[in-house]
Amino acid sequence: MEQEKARTRLFIWLWTAFVVVLLYLPIACGALASLSKGRYFAFPIRAFTSEWWEKTLDSIEIGMIVQTSLLVAALVTVISVVVAFFGALAFARYDWKGRRLFQKIVILPIFFPQPVLGLALLLWFSAVGIQTSWLTAVFAHLVWIVPVVTLVIAIQVYSFDPSLEEAAFDLGATRWQVMREVTLPILWPGIWSGALFAFLLSWGNFPLSLYTAGADSTVPKWLYSKMVAGYTPMVPALGTMSTLGAASALLLGGLVLWLLRRRAAA
Amino acid sequence: MTQEAAPKLPILQLVGVRKTFNDFVAVEKIDLDVIEGEFLTIVGPSGSGKTTLLRMLAGMDQPSEGNITLHGERINEVPPNKRPTCLVFQSLALFPHKSVGDNIEFPLKVRGVDAKTRKARALELMRVVRLPESYHSKNVMKCSGGERQRVALARALAYDPEVLFFDEPLSAIDYKLKKVLEKELKDLHKETGKTFIYITHSLEEAMVMSDRIGVMRAGRLVQVGTPEQIYNHPVDRFVSEFVGEVNVIEVKKGEEGAPWRGIDVPGAFHVRPPEEDAEADHAFVVIRPEYLRFLGAGDTAQNSLKGMVYNEYSLGSRIQYQVRVGEKVMLVELSRSKALPIAADRSVTVGWDAADAITVRA
Repeated sequence: MEQEKARTRLFIWLWTAFVVVLLYLPIACGALASLSKGRYFAFPIRAFTSEWWEKTLDSIEIGMIVQTSLLVAALVTVISVVVAFFGALAFARYDWKGRRLFQKIVILPIFFPQPVLGLALLLWFSAVGIQTSWLTAVFAHLVWIVPVVTLVIAIQVYSFDPSLEEAAFDLGATRWQVMREVTLPILWPGIWSGALFAFLLSWGNFPLSLYTAGADSTVPKWLYSKMVAGYTPMVPALGTMSTLGAASALLLGGLVLWLLRRRAAA
Repeated sequence: MTQEAAPKLPILQLVGVRKTFNDFVAVEKIDLDVIEGEFLTIVGPSGSGKTTLLRMLAGMDQPSEGNITLHGERINEVPPNKRPTCLVFQSLALFPHKSVGDNIEFPLKVRGVDAKTRKARALELMRVVRLPESYHSKNVMKCSGGERQRVALARALAYDPEVLFFDEPLSAIDYKLKKVLEKELKDLHKETGKTFIYITHSLEEAMVMSDRIGVMRAGRLVQVGTPEQIYNHPVDRFVSEFVGEVNVIEVKKGEEGAPWRGIDVPGAFHVRPPEEDAEADHAFVVIRPEYLRFLGAGDTAQNSLKGMVYNEYSLGSRIQYQVRVGEKVMLVELSRSKALPIAADRSVTVGWDAADAITVRA
């Protein structure tokens, strides 16, 4: 019996280790490649250098691309959180005609293949006569990200007791005070999670940006184009930085969520 | 519907209030005067429209027809935050992200009262509802069920409403604590002198606390009266059965001068004519289990039935016997000290006098 338990535990450990290696080895490889002295990527790495990291950090072109990516992600985050917040309230709380249909229509874009969605949007922009740029990329990201954020926030709204708002209103609060004092503070963790999702999904999105950002480039788009032509170890360097940036955003966001929850439980 | 004469002016008046949701009639033509300072309880089974009625009074729903007036002024469309009334929700609706103190201070905060005055008032109210002062900074979700009740009460009182509404706030509380809170609520009513309108499906709760009780059924207010009136003079079979377990015998009037005849129980009975309609010739005789007695040798009663005891339950201080009389089951309750010596064949005679029974029209 004891032996069997020990064996089970061993298998669980082996399986977990296998999955972790499978998931994170490629990222580690990228990081290693960025530290290679040689121009071309080949194992084993003979000499290490931080030269490519320095070059990447010094590059004006990459600076601008990172700026564009940040700007796109920030705008997408703000707009999608506002739209998704009210959307989630509407479909989680109120029962109205066509609610279920609305729910399905809103959620559907999540399941569209992104390249198809990107192509469709590009065709639509050119049909309407809109010049594609990072602004159109923001719009394209929103089409895909708003549904995700709506889902994330809706989960929080579903567990929200609407009688709390009625009680606040009954105790003399105005609509605005109800929102500020009751609705928003209770829904904060959901809104914050939604914002985190929006930022990270936009930051890492490649297919939509490829089709709809026009002449403007984002980090994933630049990585791809340099992969196709003109590879230098700056590609894995920027890739690794981008991953680290996303990871720190996630950690920071998680920390804020944890603080929010702890304050609620205090 | 019987209404006793109001000694004080009505604070709230309902005239022909009706509420429909699409085709469904939730509340049907209710007329009611709520007397200033009274403890009025509306009882009814679930789905009888009592919560809808309360929501209209609190301003969360608007009547489809009729008028609600407060101090003679029509308030049908006045929103809840502009009414001098406050509702204690069934769920209590305490703000989970706020401390006990912040919950109680909420109505003062939204009114712009400064923090120092707010805290002083909160502590004062916590004394009124018997919460220790140290709870001011306590997380409201860490309070027990009874403590949460008190927080909800204090918060409602902080709003300083003229009328307080309660939507079954004690329904999820265990029996012992419920008894304590019922008493506290009644004391609080006396101390504050405010008008309380309370909703429950439990007539027991209503009997303990209320000055007057209104009984609702299928959207209608069937009877309004003092607990004594409701208990001893129910207007119909529904009210009489709602008050508790009762024995009901359907009877028809016999020929001129002859006694009434039982329909579902064979026999002739002495029956007082229904209070509501002395000329009725078809009625229900309602006998409470505690008014039925077993007749031993030499005991007499105006009415008697032969039956068999087939079950008995202990109700604490009393014992309830189920007696089969023909097709019907009659309930007899005796205090434990007078428990029936059980005969081998368990056949018994139960009896009652006409004066112990209530007659309601069929």
